Amino acid sequence: MDIVVKKIILEVKKGNQDAFAELMDLYKDKVYHIVYRMLGNVHESQDVAQEAFLRAYTNIDSYDINRKFSTWLFRIATNLAIDRIRKKKPDFHLEDQVAGTEDLTYYSQFSTEEQLPEDQVVQLEMQEWIQEEILHLPPKYRSAIILKYLEDLSLKEISEILNLPVATVKTRIHRGRESLRKRLKD
Amino acid sequence: MACSKENKILIHKYLDDDITLLEKKQLQNHVMSCKDCEDHLKELKKTVAIIQSTSHFQAPDNFTENVMNQLPKQPKTQKWKHWFRKNPFIITAATFFLVFILSLSATFGDDSKEITVKGDGQFIVDEARGVVIIPEGERITGDLLIRNGDIEIVGEVTGNITVINGEYVMASADQVSGEINEINQAMHWLWYETKSFFSEVVGFIDNSDTDEDEKNR
Repeated sequence: MDIVVKKIILEVKKGNQDAFAELMDLYKDKVYHIVYRMLGNVHESQDVAQEAFLRAYTNIDSYDINRKFSTWLFRIATNLAIDRIRKKKPDFHLEDQVAGTEDLTYYSQFSTEEQLPEDQVVQLEMQEWIQEEILHLPPKYRSAIILKYLEDLSLKEISEILNLPVATVKTRIHRGRESLRKRLKD
Repeated sequence: MACSKENKILIHKYLDDDITLLEKKQLQNHVMSCKDCEDHLKELKKTVAIIQSTSHFQAPDNFTENVMNQLPKQPKTQKWKHWFRKNPFIITAATFFLVFILSLSATFGDDSKEITVKGDGQFIVDEARGVVIIPEGERITGDLLIRNGDIEIVGEVTGNITVINGEYVMASADQVSGEINEINQAMHWLWYETKSFFSEVVGFIDNSDTDEDEKNR
């Protein structure tokens, strides 16, 4: 896997745009997911995730081929997401209706396995609730929690992505965990 | 919540899988006796489980396409470069073909003034008229190649005659025992060169075959 990625990146560094499309297909879901969890907003997430890839493309020369590509890419993505959070408060929510439709919220755009309708509703409510709770975390805890528990990354990788010492990452995860615990208890 | 901060830190260390065996024992013992810490640990475990139960999203369908459209446009030469890199064989073939054509056209065009004759025997070159004459009583054994001149045969030729950029004048079939070729156009010239090139190659291969055959014998 790593060798394949390396080969593709070397092509991209040579200026091969087709290779970049391949690279995107490998990472777009993860990047989009992280960004979505950070922002909780479909449009903004798409915007930021796309911006992340554009930045990755224009800065590919500064990427060190010997390091893990996902770490570098996630770093760009989380930084952009945090910037976006700082810039403005979210202006639309999952419960909002999709423009031009009736009874259709952005939840309908989630990809889920086919399930019985009742299960689906419960599942959606659950998802909605979790996302809500994640969004209530301060951004700096939020990114750590997302990377740790939604992306299953190691503390070392998270520290590289967030450009923080491992000890700080630990603290943020601890605080994020505590904060979530308090909210979920209620 | 009233329990010591130390134990809280231990709980988080435990959740991070960052705990030593001794500390783990210590925590286990403590949780047995402390309801507060037990609940705390349970709640945290539950929190983690809930967070981990979230489903993953996929990027929208047109995601890659959107980004690709926004990438800075590459200059044409870039694209060609990649195309070249991807199709080395076509380029090699094209290069060889070009060199081939160039060398041919060079031989066809350059020596247009001088008369050249290839063959064994006596002949007269009349530069003023641009004619090669095989005088009476002379006999050319083997093939004859005349370039940039006409040929006039009075004597005898026991082979093929090829005239390039010239004409074959006056001959009765008796005097020439081989074929007579006139080549006056580039395309004909090209075809002739190609043919002779391949017949040489084939001849070479044939020869090497027979050589080997002889060796085997």
